[in-house]
Amino acid sequence: MKERKLLFVTQFEELWFDALQSLMDLRKSGFNHVVFLHVIERDKVAMHRGKGYLKDEETKLREIANIRFIDWAESLFEQGMEVGAYIVVGNPLPKIISTAEEEDVDLIVTGHHKKGKVEELYAGSETVDILKRTSTPVLVYKYMLPSGKINERPFERPILAMDWSPASERAVNYLIKFKDIIKEVVVINVASEKDIKGASAMDIQATRKKNRQRLDEICDIFRREGMEADSHLYIGDTCVEIEKAAQEREATMIVAGATGKSGLKEIFMGNVAKKLAKYSAFPTLLVPANIKPEIN
Amino acid sequence: MSKKVLTVDDDPDIISFVKTVLEENNYIPLIARNGEVGLDLARTEKPDLVILDVLMPKQSGIRMYRELKAEESLKNTPVIILSGIAKRTFLRSQEALTEFGDQPVPEPDLYIEKPVEPDELAETIKNLIG
Repeated sequence: MKERKLLFVTQFEELWFDALQSLMDLRKSGFNHVVFLHVIERDKVAMHRGKGYLKDEETKLREIANIRFIDWAESLFEQGMEVGAYIVVGNPLPKIISTAEEEDVDLIVTGHHKKGKVEELYAGSETVDILKRTSTPVLVYKYMLPSGKINERPFERPILAMDWSPASERAVNYLIKFKDIIKEVVVINVASEKDIKGASAMDIQATRKKNRQRLDEICDIFRREGMEADSHLYIGDTCVEIEKAAQEREATMIVAGATGKSGLKEIFMGNVAKKLAKYSAFPTLLVPANIKPEIN
Repeated sequence: MSKKVLTVDDDPDIISFVKTVLEENNYIPLIARNGEVGLDLARTEKPDLVILDVLMPKQSGIRMYRELKAEESLKNTPVIILSGIAKRTFLRSQEALTEFGDQPVPEPDLYIEKPVEPDELAETIKNLIG
């Protein structure tokens, strides 16, 4: 099996080592290489009036990050894993993109900041910005369950929200890579109320039937890979219904396609991805339209 | 003739420090910033000694060390591990990789946890390669 790489982006506020440990199930899917990235935001060390560039502050922040990464790396090395680390100064978004490219990672894991200046950075529009500029899927990882317990197997029962876009169809193929750790995929489609406004009962039923068949076809793809799959239709606000479905079906993660291309559909998708990343209580795996070719 | 010492480390301060020690003691410094580049340089330059960090981008010192020891032309090149990662971790990691099916590798010639004093480093290098 090809060794896969995971880029673990942390500001030490939202993602700690227990978050990383809870992702160790991914080793069964070939993720044996973890790359840590900590970005020291430029404004923490940049030129200040009368002080100049805060070199001592940069050194201090680098060493703090280094001590943490060494401790984390030791735990992973002892499990036979490969580990790398980057501690860089700059703006997080370009640094995440450049590190993901430099290391050719298969998955980017970011956290969800609850407050502060960087709140928007990973969880909202910036997550979509990452997806616009990379072909690598992004997991916005909320590893604490609403109960306060750690989500120990986030890939065990993903809920896949299909909108029939190329990105969501690629999300199907991406999930298959995790078949060794997925117990069941719950595939859903959310029809918006405006889609059926003015339609006859017959038309609505026809649409329902058609979407149901498409969902069943997706389930069949998973089943052919030896995975369990189930499908459900929802109607209403897309994000609200996805979140509701995740709760009802006891999902461990939400998976959705996302694309940064222009056009109304993509704007809508960008908004869904942004809202899910920002507001969902579940880990959210967002898969961009262009997945890099897999070499097995 | 001066001997060549390859230093593989991603920390510019460490590289600068080791390079100075090497130059002051009449060794020829070769520098690489990760295991991938380090291995390529080792293959082409055939250094007399490798000073290797562990936690680095692209390829760690743990993997590079295994590859060095697997290559006929490089396996006898002495290696000093100079790292913030504990020796215990390095050895356990090698054991774990061996358990997963890789070939066992010998322990490095010397393991120094950072930081190291310049005199200590110079003396260690001298003891290993003269």
